[in-house]
Amino acid sequence: MMTSLSLSVLGMLGFTLLAFWGVAGWALVRTLGQERRKVEILAHQDRMDTYSPTALAELREWIEEHPDDPLADEARAQYNECVTVLRTTDMHFYDWSNEEIADLEPL
Amino acid sequence: MAGTQAKTARAEWGTRFGFLMAMIGAMVGAGNIWRFPYVAGNNGGGAFILAFLILLFVLAIPGLMAEVALGRYTGKGVIGAFREVVGRGGLVGFGVVVLLVNVALMSYYAPVIAWTLYYAIHSLLFSFTASGFEPVAFWDGFLANPVLTIGLHTVVMGSIAAILALGIRRGVERIVVYAVPALVLSLVIMTIRGLTLPGASEGIAFTFGVEWAYLTYSGTWIEALGQALFSTGLGWGIALTVGSYLREYDDVPLGGGVFTALGESSIGILAALAIFPIVFAVGVAPDAGANLAFISLVQVFPEIPFGGLVAVLFFVGFFLATFTSGLLITEVSVTTLEEETRFDRTQTVLGVCGLIWLLGIPSAYSAELLDYLDFVFGSWGLPLATLAIIGIIGWVLGPERLRLLAVNRNAGIHVGQWWDPVVKYVIPAVMLFIMGYFAYDEFGSIEMIGGMVVLLTFPIIGYAIMTVLEGRDRRTEPVDVPGGDD
Repeated sequence: MMTSLSLSVLGMLGFTLLAFWGVAGWALVRTLGQERRKVEILAHQDRMDTYSPTALAELREWIEEHPDDPLADEARAQYNECVTVLRTTDMHFYDWSNEEIADLEPL
Repeated sequence: MAGTQAKTARAEWGTRFGFLMAMIGAMVGAGNIWRFPYVAGNNGGGAFILAFLILLFVLAIPGLMAEVALGRYTGKGVIGAFREVVGRGGLVGFGVVVLLVNVALMSYYAPVIAWTLYYAIHSLLFSFTASGFEPVAFWDGFLANPVLTIGLHTVVMGSIAAILALGIRRGVERIVVYAVPALVLSLVIMTIRGLTLPGASEGIAFTFGVEWAYLTYSGTWIEALGQALFSTGLGWGIALTVGSYLREYDDVPLGGGVFTALGESSIGILAALAIFPIVFAVGVAPDAGANLAFISLVQVFPEIPFGGLVAVLFFVGFFLATFTSGLLITEVSVTTLEEETRFDRTQTVLGVCGLIWLLGIPSAYSAELLDYLDFVFGSWGLPLATLAIIGIIGWVLGPERLRLLAVNRNAGIHVGQWWDPVVKYVIPAVMLFIMGYFAYDEFGSIEMIGGMVVLLTFPIIGYAIMTVLEGRDRRTEPVDVPGGDD
């Protein structure tokens, strides 16, 4: 059957399967893999880091730029929670280096 | 996580897979099966798919991330989430608008689920491959029999009530973790059967043949826009509600955004592969909507080997797709009303399902009324709900705040600053464009008048209800997040 299809149709079919099923499958495998990792970490310790290095840096930058924002206290609490967890636990979900953790200061 | 206890009294998804299947089960509905394949084939095939994919990434995925994140951030249903953002008062009524649209949507969607149930039952009885079977007469006879249509509408709402009464984990999650994979499996088997038929390649070429010129037609982009937004259920309160049951360390953007949008669209792609090779192999003209599912396909099943079994796969899968959507659409009202009233979950489920059943009787009785409501709410009601939800995120809470506090917290992928203007400007502008486009296109028609009634009365009703209800409680609180994050 496939031999009777033109190359452009086959190419589009392949692209579509890759773009939809391929990416959705990748997302499913990745998120379920991350779930397993989180379960492992929580079996080992009570708390877990909540931000990646990039996301935590963005959060800090925003807090420093908006110190009087109505949500600044909540943001500070989330930032400090992540810093505390990173300093007091040895298993981390995100890819934190020891140097990066040592450089973190609570706000 | 899966092995840890719930940390709050509020229900939570038992597993990550349960959350993901709830999102897919909610978003995959009749449109994926009976609309997407035909619309794609009729609008340049591969060109349409490319436009659709671009719009998924530009609009639907960021929008779904925002809606799930709002639910997760507030930990509340629609009305509670609005109150958390805008503070007490009449503006919470925009949450009521979302609720009213959901109830209206479900009132005419429940009879559609009943249609799929009727055909699923008859597929199991092998009615469609029996000698002398007449598809058109069968379909017309069914619609003309109110005992059947209203009776099955009652069965559907009763079944939904029974499952929802069991709760999020024991009811909804238990169903979707089996129903969604069963739907995918049934379509995969049907695809294999279709692709092995002589002449099936024409069906593939219909959907996946590329006519690049269609990318320059405005009609292609408008169709792709409608498919990308309506198929993913963006802004209807479903993603917000499902997200509100996420657990402490759950991710939002990867599962709630990327996987949901592409996963549910993938089922539309699979439906195209399952349906059109068979349709073209038998030589029946391609079609969309009820005509495709209940007349065209029913005509082709007797013509192919193992057609009776293929019919079972298709109609049982189709029923599962519509039924799981119905479950989650109804859950939107159940979650928020359970939180906002003194009723327990069972009482709320009975009240909501009873109301939807009652409001759905006219649509179960008259397919013409159902079509009318579908057009009115699809063109104006649902975009209004989306505008309300994305509007409060973009213009009151602020996308940057939500991204930093909820989207990127525990996230499986990092969402950058590009996301903020998409949520604040692009999605609301697109919603206004859709409503304006349909108003222009249908100017003066009874559909347009119905749409304008919805656009005017729903916000007024919502505002009035919440002004009265919130006014009773004197513990007024100031809005603590005014003006967005600019």
